[in-house]
Amino acid sequence: MTKEYGIGLDVGSTTTKGVIINQNGEVVASYLRQTGASVSAAVQEVIATLREKSGTDLERVPVVSTGYGRAMVDSAHRAVTEITCHSIGVHHLNPEINLLIDVGGQDSKVIRIGDNGKPIDFELNDKCSAGTGRFLEVMARVLGVSIENLGPLALESSKPCSISSTCTVFAESEVIGRIGSGEKPQDIAAGIHKAMASKISTLSRRVGVVEPVAITGGVAKNPAFRHYLSKQLEVELWVPKIPQLTGALGAAIMSLKKSF
Amino acid sequence: MSEKKEKAYRLLEANNLLNQIMFRYMLEGHSASEEGRLAWLTSGFPVEIPLAMSLGVVYPEQYGAVVGSQKMGPQVCAFAENIGYSPELCSYARSSIGSVLKPEESPLEGLPKPQALLAGNNICGTVMKWYDAVSQLTGAPVFLLDTPPIDDVQGDHHKEYVKAGLERLITFISDHFDVELQDDRLREVADNSTRAIALWTEILQSCKAKPSPLNCADRFLAMAPVVSQRGTEYILEYYETLLKEVRERVSNGLGAIMDEKVRLLWDNIPPWFNIFRFFNSLAKRGVVFPADTYTHAWSGSFDSPDILNAIVSLYSNVYLNKGIDAKIDKMCELIMDYDLDGFVLFSVRSCKRYSLGQMVSKEIVMERTGVPGVIIEGDMVDSRLFNEAQVQTRIDALLEMIV
Ligand code: SF4
Repeated sequence: MTKEYGIGLDVGSTTTKGVIINQNGEVVASYLRQTGASVSAAVQEVIATLREKSGTDLERVPVVSTGYGRAMVDSAHRAVTEITCHSIGVHHLNPEINLLIDVGGQDSKVIRIGDNGKPIDFELNDKCSAGTGRFLEVMARVLGVSIENLGPLALESSKPCSISSTCTVFAESEVIGRIGSGEKPQDIAAGIHKAMASKISTLSRRVGVVEPVAITGGVAKNPAFRHYLSKQLEVELWVPKIPQLTGALGAAIMSLKKSF
Repeated sequence: MSEKKEKAYRLLEANNLLNQIMFRYMLEGHSASEEGRLAWLTSGFPVEIPLAMSLGVVYPEQYGAVVGSQKMGPQVCAFAENIGYSPELCSYARSSIGSVLKPEESPLEGLPKPQALLAGNNICGTVMKWYDAVSQLTGAPVFLLDTPPIDDVQGDHHKEYVKAGLERLITFISDHFDVELQDDRLREVADNSTRAIALWTEILQSCKAKPSPLNCADRFLAMAPVVSQRGTEYILEYYETLLKEVRERVSNGLGAIMDEKVRLLWDNIPPWFNIFRFFNSLAKRGVVFPADTYTHAWSGSFDSPDILNAIVSLYSNVYLNKGIDAKIDKMCELIMDYDLDGFVLFSVRSCKRYSLGQMVSKEIVMERTGVPGVIIEGDMVDSRLFNEAQVQTRIDALLEMIV
């Protein structure tokens, strides 16, 4: 097995991410796509793209898979949970971070990172779509805006309306009610982000909010969510450049280590 | 990857004896019912009294475990849900009520028909309404032994109150079954109980050895007689045999699993429908559970001049009847004494009483012992509430924290 490169594959329920790093831990290439109905098709395409982008023959490069589909990746030499991989990945990018909040498409997790980058405690929400990217997607659809524009729209509000439910189904009817009673879309959008932030801050408090705090996952790109979460937790949030890739990055780092 | 056919765990020879006594227990339940002297009991009920008064006993909770093990939980629970019982109700209660409604479609054709229902609320408040519901369906009268919760030390007023309950129980059985309680018979039964519990405690403690001679599933099966047939003499032979086998394993350095690497604590009832798959798949990865809070709940002794007082004290002080601190202390003690590397708290949707407080317990236990823990969610009977992939991720992450 060549030790020059390592590949990490993060097969999430919404997107599949791949990262290839060199021995110095530098990212050589990365790629992200929708997972879709077939994990193996997604994985194959991600690997092919990494091969092309990196210009290397990846035949003997070690692969670690992570994410909910980690056991379904035939080409992986080892499967490691997304909890450990995110922790390692974020630690690699910013060793100061003590708490990591990752909000993905279908789940969210809060991880206390130990001194060596390994997790020391965590809480997961993967049973219900409240507090995940899915919640925001459903709400964006109800408001008739794209998911990319939902956050910016919310930031225009100076008077967020209150959305009391964090359950996706209940909140959906609440939002419809708000629209019906003539509330402004920006205020409703802001209320949605506040409700979601409160759900995630509760999850975070269960693990214990120890600064500095990082946020990753697709939802980390949403400025309104970051704004309200940071306000509710009363902390600054550090965001990596491509927040969806930390799990795959952690997996790639793990692929270059014998044991952890 | 090479697939080894070899088993990751060792089977116990004493299991043959266990099967025999469980069979005997079932037959005795049926004949007691036919003779009109069968009582259904909650797991924390002072069985010594009905037993000394010649009643046969069976345990609906244990029956729930059978329903779970046979993977019939969703079906039998649904019989109760279909007539309006909430899916939030304890799945032991649902499977019990469901099997009374449709015995022909339930494992073992349900439990034999009861002539009395003896409920103790030292384990939870659910049992009261559950036994009321069964009473409505079967016509058997209910007796409730009320043991108010204890926060620290059991006061005299508390002891007197519970003792008055025991006296009421004796009268209740006398009136319904026309029998008297003989002191020497009660002594005999209590001595058998004390002996069974002592053997059981010794068996549990042998798991301090490395490798541990028993895993979680072993203990959950082996505890059945001490839960349901303590007080009888015939179970003693089984526990003596098991203790002997366990001691042999320890002296020969043989573990319950082939290659012990990680030692964990288990909290709560197991997912019965998945018990072997769950613990054996972890065994393959070198994970053993030398201790758990649940099978350690049957402890204590009736070795006292006044048996009724001993009964009062033992049954009021079960830790489900005490504050959350008692369980936290117990977990820390087990982690230290059994030299465990981490812990798994199973949050059982059915059993609020056992599962409440696990979140804060996890934090405190981690802080006190310095080992990591994880909470997994599900149910002991209702497999609809158990998501294997989610449980797997949590356990895997815990193991990654340890090794
Ligand atoms: S609620 Fe818990 S203690 Fe009560 S009967 Fe059900 S499982 Fe047992």
